[in-house]
Amino acid sequence: MNRLTKLFDKSQIVLRNINSELKCHSLYITVNSAMALTQVSSNKCCDGYQKVFEHDSSELKCKMKFAIYLPPKAESSKCPVLYWLSGLTCTEQNFITKAGSQQAASEHGIIIVAPDTSPRGCNIEGEDESWDFGTGAGFYVNATQEPWKTNYRMYSYVTEELPRLINSNFPADPEKMSISGHSMGGHGALICALKNPGKYKSVSAFAPICNPIQCAWGQKAFSGYLGPDKSIWESYDATVLAESYSGPELDILIDQGRDDQFLSASQLLPDNLIAACSKKKIPVVFRLQQGYDHSYYFIFSFINDHIKHHAKYLNA
Amino acid sequence: MDVFEVRGRLDVIAEELASEEEEEEATDEDVFEQGSSDVSTHTQQMKEQLNKRRSKLSQKIVEMENFASNLEEIFITVEENFGRQEQNLEQHYNEVLQTLSQRNEARAAALDEQKNSKLECLYGQLLRCGQTLDASKELIESAQELHRRPDKHGFLQAVMPVMKRVEQFAGEEVDLKLGVSLDFQVLTPDLSEVRQMMESINVLPAPSAPVMNPQIANSATDTSLHVCWSLFSDDTVEFYELYWRLISDDCTMETLQEVSQLKVKETHCTVSSLRPNAQYELWVTATNTTGISPASERAVYMTVPSPPVLKPRQCVSSLNAALIRWDSGNTDPVESYTLEFGETGTDGSGTESIVAIPSCECLLQLQPQKIYILHVRAVNIGGPSDRSEPVHISTTGTFFHLLEDTAHPSLSLSADGLTMFYLDEDLPISHMTFSDNTFNRCVAVLGDLVPVRGQYYWEVEVDEDAEFRVGVAYEDTQRNSHLGGNNTSWCMRHILTPSRHKYEFLHSGWTPDIRITVQPLRIGVFLDYSRGILSFYNAALRQHLYTFSCHFLHYVQPCFALDNPGALTLRTGMTAPAYITP
Repeated sequence: MNRLTKLFDKSQIVLRNINSELKCHSLYITVNSAMALTQVSSNKCCDGYQKVFEHDSSELKCKMKFAIYLPPKAESSKCPVLYWLSGLTCTEQNFITKAGSQQAASEHGIIIVAPDTSPRGCNIEGEDESWDFGTGAGFYVNATQEPWKTNYRMYSYVTEELPRLINSNFPADPEKMSISGHSMGGHGALICALKNPGKYKSVSAFAPICNPIQCAWGQKAFSGYLGPDKSIWESYDATVLAESYSGPELDILIDQGRDDQFLSASQLLPDNLIAACSKKKIPVVFRLQQGYDHSYYFIFSFINDHIKHHAKYLNA
Repeated sequence: MDVFEVRGRLDVIAEELASEEEEEEATDEDVFEQGSSDVSTHTQQMKEQLNKRRSKLSQKIVEMENFASNLEEIFITVEENFGRQEQNLEQHYNEVLQTLSQRNEARAAALDEQKNSKLECLYGQLLRCGQTLDASKELIESAQELHRRPDKHGFLQAVMPVMKRVEQFAGEEVDLKLGVSLDFQVLTPDLSEVRQMMESINVLPAPSAPVMNPQIANSATDTSLHVCWSLFSDDTVEFYELYWRLISDDCTMETLQEVSQLKVKETHCTVSSLRPNAQYELWVTATNTTGISPASERAVYMTVPSPPVLKPRQCVSSLNAALIRWDSGNTDPVESYTLEFGETGTDGSGTESIVAIPSCECLLQLQPQKIYILHVRAVNIGGPSDRSEPVHISTTGTFFHLLEDTAHPSLSLSADGLTMFYLDEDLPISHMTFSDNTFNRCVAVLGDLVPVRGQYYWEVEVDEDAEFRVGVAYEDTQRNSHLGGNNTSWCMRHILTPSRHKYEFLHSGWTPDIRITVQPLRIGVFLDYSRGILSFYNAALRQHLYTFSCHFLHYVQPCFALDNPGALTLRTGMTAPAYITP
């Protein structure tokens, strides 16, 4: 039994290596049918389609689902892609059912890809102990510590594997990518953009965790995933990254609910990011929205502004 | 038309008819010569010819009818003239007869008086004669009686006195001459007047009053009038005298203007050295050897106005419209204005005109991305003035200038009306002249936009440390409040604190809480009435800063203010960048 499984694993690895060298997309799919996408659901929405796919992730070493909205324009031509990273405890479902993004995406002709927030079903010990660490709390880093480092590679998944997958399976314009997210996903969007100058045409965030090394959430997650080395922590902190950013000009839009409990609990710390960006002259428009909290109602209220913000650069 | 002309016309018509007949005969011969080879075509040709002839004849009939009606008119006129002359003569003769009978009566009365006085005199004489006769009769009777007295003594006594009496009486001379002459003194009446009247009947009457013609369109200039008149009837006239006087609406002038006059041989005349856009009263008299006609009725003519003066600083334009403003150029009102415009570069063939503009401004619809050249004329009943100096209007974007008469006195504007300076001097309040239209608390100024609910874009350049407010406001926004502090203005505001830059987006005194990390020094302002939005951009970064969603009830105007000494420059005339208009 053991030998069989080991053989199976080996063959998988071999095949994966072959695939990673192959540049041809169609071969990539046919050689390893296990790497193929399987459609989980499809619903027509705003003249386009909201679909959910499942695939075997090479980075995360498990089956991963992601949601993808294909606007009507995608039937006839390539469309730019907006990656949406969700926050703590979310899956690929929350955004597509609660945020109301499809209308604006349809109007502006933008594909929206919303992955899950962490690897699932890996059976790692302790992964379900807290809601803000482990399952549903990947923090978009590549973990360096055991037992997380094998599977918890959300940074690479989001910045490399997923775009490759999308570009080869959907009518996506590989040159036109933008990124956005909420809370932990906001942190993810900011760091992906800051660590990859020029890769994303625009970035925006809702109530992001701006300075994780200074807040309780970040400290818990980073010490668990990244260990004691603070320099690795800093490489995943938007405020620190902003202070040393050099690259093509960004245009960052951030919305923050004023009545957000986590803001008052000093988990989000936007002032620090603003100070850093002011100093480095990174253009940011930060809007403190009266009366709004941390929920998807807040996202729903301003998602159109964000999609419009991205459309300006994606459709230029 | 006189008789010769009439005869001439008839001859012409007769000739034409005759020549036609000849033509017809000629074609007839042609037809027969062709033989009977093609009967149907012949009949066709014949039919066509018949039609032609029929139409020609009907034309001729129409001409004859016209001619006949002309003749009728002439006859009627002649009859009228005759009737008038007849009346004239009758009147004349009646006057003469009246004068004569007056003279006659006077004379008769004089003779009557004479007769009466003569009769009186004669009657007196008669009485005296009678008395004398009676006296002598008495004497004779007494002498006879005495003679018959037998008494010789008494007779001798009485005879001597009686004989003395008789001798006395016989010695008296008897006046047997008539006291009055039998001749009557006949007064020769003054018939010279009558003679004059009789003479004038046979001579030309003085002309009747001419008739002033109404002013011919486009015959006047701004300093001259072309005046025409005509004779009332077929009078003989040697010359005319034209009089004119300026009609002044000015109530302070109590005396009438002086009358000018000119002697003219023709029935028209050009009067010069007049004032523009002025009304003149004109009348004319006709003179011949007999005398001067009465004055004609007064006609009013008007000189054409002076050309208006376009005001380029007050003109505004956008991609597809422009509002043009000008000064009348005349102290008195004119009837209307005409605006002429065309694209530059064309040779004037594409010039359009808008007429009957009632006031000194006009809103035009234009094509985008073009440059137009415009002129204005003032129009009154005399006609249009000369063209004004042109103004160039560009439709490549939103064009406007800062309105000086709304500026707070502490603001000074550049010569081109696009930059405003808030100087660091402390002007004392007494030196500042405020008016109803100037801002008096906020150091602000308004701009202007075409009053069309479209899309507009302009940019504002500011100094790094300028504390400014830029946005839009209703034209009647309160001049004693700060921009953004009321519900009639929307603006982006920059505040400089020691630690950082603060930005507010103000309306009704409320602003959202927004942080901006890179200071915008060139701010793009985009206004879209139909979507009800006012957006602000960092134009250098193409970064969207904030958008007001507002339903504008009225037209709004761009507004600018400085909260501390500094400068602000307006950039206009560019099309909204692509990233703004989706």
